[in-house]
Amino acid sequence: MKVTIQFLKRFYTGNPAAIFGSLIVVAMLVMSAGASVIAENDPNKRVARGHQPPSTELLLGSTRSGKDVFSQVLHGGRISLLVAFSAAVITTVIAVCVGVSAGYFGGRVDEFLMAITNVVLVFPQLPLLIILAAFVGQVGPLMIALIIGLSSWAWGARVIRSQTLAIRNKEFVLAAEVMGESRLRIIFVEILPNLTSIVFGGAMGTCIYALMAEAGLEFLGLGDPTIITWGTMLFWAQSNSAFIVGAWWDIVIPGLAIAIFGGGLALLNMSIDQIANPKLRTGGYLNRWRELKQQVDRKRGLA
Amino acid sequence: MGFILRRLFFYLVAIFVAVTFNFLIPRLMPGDPIDALFASAQGRMPLETLAAYKEMLGFVDGPLWDQYLAYLGSILTWDLGPTIMLYPLPVSELLAAKMPWTLGLAGMSTLIAVCIGILVGTYAAYNLGGFTDRFVPGFWAFLGAMPQPVLALFVFFLFALRWQWFPLSYGANPDLDPGWSIEYIKSIAHHAVLPLGCMIFGGIGAWIFNMRNAMINVLGEDYITMAKAKGLSNRRIMTHYAARNALLPVVTAVSMQVGFVMAGAIFIETVFNYPGLGLLLFKALAARDYPTMQACFFMIVVFVLVFNFIADLLNLWLDPRLRK
Repeated sequence: MKVTIQFLKRFYTGNPAAIFGSLIVVAMLVMSAGASVIAENDPNKRVARGHQPPSTELLLGSTRSGKDVFSQVLHGGRISLLVAFSAAVITTVIAVCVGVSAGYFGGRVDEFLMAITNVVLVFPQLPLLIILAAFVGQVGPLMIALIIGLSSWAWGARVIRSQTLAIRNKEFVLAAEVMGESRLRIIFVEILPNLTSIVFGGAMGTCIYALMAEAGLEFLGLGDPTIITWGTMLFWAQSNSAFIVGAWWDIVIPGLAIAIFGGGLALLNMSIDQIANPKLRTGGYLNRWRELKQQVDRKRGLA
Repeated sequence: MGFILRRLFFYLVAIFVAVTFNFLIPRLMPGDPIDALFASAQGRMPLETLAAYKEMLGFVDGPLWDQYLAYLGSILTWDLGPTIMLYPLPVSELLAAKMPWTLGLAGMSTLIAVCIGILVGTYAAYNLGGFTDRFVPGFWAFLGAMPQPVLALFVFFLFALRWQWFPLSYGANPDLDPGWSIEYIKSIAHHAVLPLGCMIFGGIGAWIFNMRNAMINVLGEDYITMAKAKGLSNRRIMTHYAARNALLPVVTAVSMQVGFVMAGAIFIETVFNYPGLGLLLFKALAARDYPTMQACFFMIVVFVLVFNFIADLLNLWLDPRLRK
């Protein structure tokens, strides 16, 4: 517990990106989780005339069919976020399995797995998703999560493999092998904990990607339009030409929801990268370092 | 030479996988897309057309292996059959008309985004902790996470609809005769500003990041200190010593980005009604025009592979170790 608090303190100190990112992500999560409490209107019910602008009564206006945009955004967030997170979990599990096996076992296994990974990697993922979704027909959120999860693990697998390769030849792994630890134990106890930050960073990145991919698929009309998500809200608004008739809130609100949540995740992701590789850090604490560096450089005659 | 041959072989395998994927997908899916088409045409489709479609998608009678060979043959001769939405226009002709637009959009935007991204990333990393370094990467990380359809919609709303600085749709003024006249080229440029801007905007963040991270790793090397000790100017160290070597991993990252660029083209062309491959794919999706869809996907894969190959050649030029 104490260690966790210390870690969090170190993570957030002097790191506004991490603070902003966490605030955004937590706020959005809480808001979608408590959607039915915060928004009093049923997102599927007609509560007003079509395309009413935002007002005190309808906080964010109404859609063309007279549904409450505020309530839809909150409820839609639930499914959008669920899809993004589950796709990230599927991707991460596959990436870790492939990457660690390839890196640890090496030889034939490595060659075989990396050949597959490289071919998958070179395929444009989103167009692939679009074609898959088009042939499956209108796909529900679960299917979208599955398709995204199964098709976007390649990059993560490669990164994890190279990191595993680096760790594999460290003394502590060799020591564990000499002591006769089983391969499973070496993988789970010796190697995996050292991959934590890379795995988390990758999962975060996939989450952003899945959020974008889901919104994109649904925007193109490939999702199930009867289920309210941020993507289908965009789809309906766009196919009802909301901008042309002046109902900007119908598109801007779900768009902003995706953009802000994705942005928050990206900031968090950046901060996690900086834990994995402290050299990447930036911020006010570098001022002192810059001063010292300049002094030293001047002494050495390098500045 | 070995390097190039290996890469070419790899791309050949990738194209082969793409063709096989295109072949298998309609056969693995529950229900036959052609029957779905026939049903959705509500009797307006003559039986010969149905037969033609079946043949075109390789749904000829016979074992799967024969169908596969027939399909490979049709790809190799670039005889992709007629489209469904604009019957009887051949798919290959439609593709040829749309390709230049997307090629221009994707190529130009990648070029501009890479150049700006590399410059900004280099500068930020070299002045670590400075203003650019502290705010620009975070700013772009935040904006770069905006899905491209959303970005395109916002830009469309503000600059095309609200302020009307740029046209709402098309790749050029439809009243003008296509040709190499100055007026027509001007019209193309005017129409391309917003889609191009969106694509650059969406891609630039990744480049800044990649370049900054690569630079930071390079800056710790001894030869940088050595260069400083020799008394070289800061600018020369930044460009010729650090950036030159940091470029390698960035060029490799092209493989990750180009697929993203092509995906962006689909959404951005859809929003701006820009007459490229992406809009074609969107229309094919709406019309359930499977042959066109598959051809678009195949073209996108080929695009990505060609871009990758260019990146490989660049790498070969930048990294003497590969030339052994």
